[in-house]
Amino acid sequence: MDIVTLLTQAGVNGLVIGTMYALMAIGFTLVFGIMRVVNFAHGEFYMAGSFIAFLTYAQWQLPFAATIVIAILLVGFVGALIEWVLIRPLRADELTGMIATLGISVVLQNSALMFFGASPRPMPEVISGLVRIGPAVFSWSRIFVIVSAVLVIGVFWLFMQKSRTGRAMRAVAQDREAALIQGIDVERIFPLAFGISVALAAVAGALMAPVFSVSPFVGITPMLKAFIVVILGGLGSIPGAVLGGLLLGMIESFGATMLGAMIADMLQLALVIAILLIRPSGLLGRKEA
Amino acid sequence: MNSSDSTAAGRPHEREGTMNRFVLRLGLVAAACVIAAFVPGLLPNLFYVHIANLTLISGIFALSLWIIYSVGQLSLSHAAFAGIGAYASALLTLRLGIPPIFSLVIAGLLTATVAALLGSVILRLRGVYFVLVTFLVGQMFTLVALNWQDVTNGANGLISISPITVLGLNFGPRPMFFYFAFGMFMATLLFTWALTRSTFGRAFNSIEQNIDLAEICGIDTARYQVVAFTIGSGIAGVGGALIAHYIRYISPDTFTFHNSVAYITMLVVGGRSLFWGAVVGAAFLTPLPEFLRDFEGLQRIIYGAIMILVLRILPGGLISIPDKLARLGGRK
Repeated sequence: MDIVTLLTQAGVNGLVIGTMYALMAIGFTLVFGIMRVVNFAHGEFYMAGSFIAFLTYAQWQLPFAATIVIAILLVGFVGALIEWVLIRPLRADELTGMIATLGISVVLQNSALMFFGASPRPMPEVISGLVRIGPAVFSWSRIFVIVSAVLVIGVFWLFMQKSRTGRAMRAVAQDREAALIQGIDVERIFPLAFGISVALAAVAGALMAPVFSVSPFVGITPMLKAFIVVILGGLGSIPGAVLGGLLLGMIESFGATMLGAMIADMLQLALVIAILLIRPSGLLGRKEA
Repeated sequence: MNSSDSTAAGRPHEREGTMNRFVLRLGLVAAACVIAAFVPGLLPNLFYVHIANLTLISGIFALSLWIIYSVGQLSLSHAAFAGIGAYASALLTLRLGIPPIFSLVIAGLLTATVAALLGSVILRLRGVYFVLVTFLVGQMFTLVALNWQDVTNGANGLISISPITVLGLNFGPRPMFFYFAFGMFMATLLFTWALTRSTFGRAFNSIEQNIDLAEICGIDTARYQVVAFTIGSGIAGVGGALIAHYIRYISPDTFTFHNSVAYITMLVVGGRSLFWGAVVGAAFLTPLPEFLRDFEGLQRIIYGAIMILVLRILPGGLISIPDKLARLGGRK
């Protein structure tokens, strides 16, 4: 394999994991920006999305589009409910809210472990076949993941920019009290934002289910990466999450191709510490008051 | 202890009260020591002694995590520091033949040094960022422990680590180890207690309550936070070394993120406001999963559920129950 092929393939792989990281990080950063809660259960909603894809697509043989819709609605609804019942009373204090999400994460992950067992399940690909562009060969399934993720991010961006609710969310993220004065029902925005956030994680889980396999522990790595991404991009910044996600995906993919996976992982953590030292608010973040 | 006397010196009555409480607590500590002397003989079998030992070690972890919490920081790398101490102590005895009683101390100092270096970098970060980075540090530890084959033996871990012996006394058997673990636990407890009564403890407390105000009052908050992080993580390193020489086998799985979360659960369930809470939490939660061994996932679910329940219903933790009851009684 020549060097051009190797690099283009690393680029495509970087885009696949990069868009997935971006999907994870957008939701994570959205909840922090609006509610000031660090959601340690974020990865478990990714896991939930994976299992929904496994059940509806691989076992019940529904079309994949239906799988995505079910994942968004079901996980989004459950997420909003969890915010309403469990996080609402505890989010006044940043640390307490965070500890609550740790508890939620433990319960969700081990419930999945009890119901489905620990062994990973493979899932069939949504689209098979290869596409040849010049010297490089890509699988359609990878391109499908990239296109779908970009679509979802695009819809989310339009929603945040154009819709009344999306604008209300941004207003709350900027200044909760000012938003309150403008007549925005902050208490309704919170569960909605949490629901949307975890629904995005579920979409990422469903899209990636055929690429990786499905198990109760699949959410841990994407959540770890989401943490790294939001530190890179700035906690609370959505453009930062997209940029950071793509950047991390590329670093990981090229790093793994050229230096090996272990060194690539180390490199990421070193990068995070360096960013924190030089620019603690992240690449696109605002300085905390 | 002197500082508390001098602040109350103007009011002899109050001073007498604090003195009485102090003597009472000292009496409690002495009583605990006397009772502990008979515990291994009284427990029905070795399984219970084993659980008692694990509880004491958990107590050390929870107390040391409380020290870090007392400056308003939540560490998710506590298990990682325990792991660093465990691997350091195990390797010192296995490779260099250093007696465990010394390697224990060296491991603690080494862990504290790592924590001090790391802390001086990451404690510039407040609250959320700090927690995220400690989470990453925990993951990094697992990664290194798994992949640095030559030293850590990867996923297989280190086996046949020698037990602790002091002056010919072998603390390897479970009932004997109980006394050693109890000694270490009491040392940690008394140290934490003394710390809360010292100027350090007062500074810690003021930082936890209002970091900006503490800073304005001329308290070097960053320095105190590094000190608390160093002490807490160093003690965790000794605790990890204790596990290594007690179980005599360690692997990356012994010190995961889940362990860190378990220690946080102990703090929350016991009560975060006072260091006694950490002890109560460890004593309540450590034996619990041991009796649920048959249900693999269930023990963790119960841990998580108890944590959420306590946060919702009893935010002060178990140690706030007497106060709550007293208030209920008073209202009637």
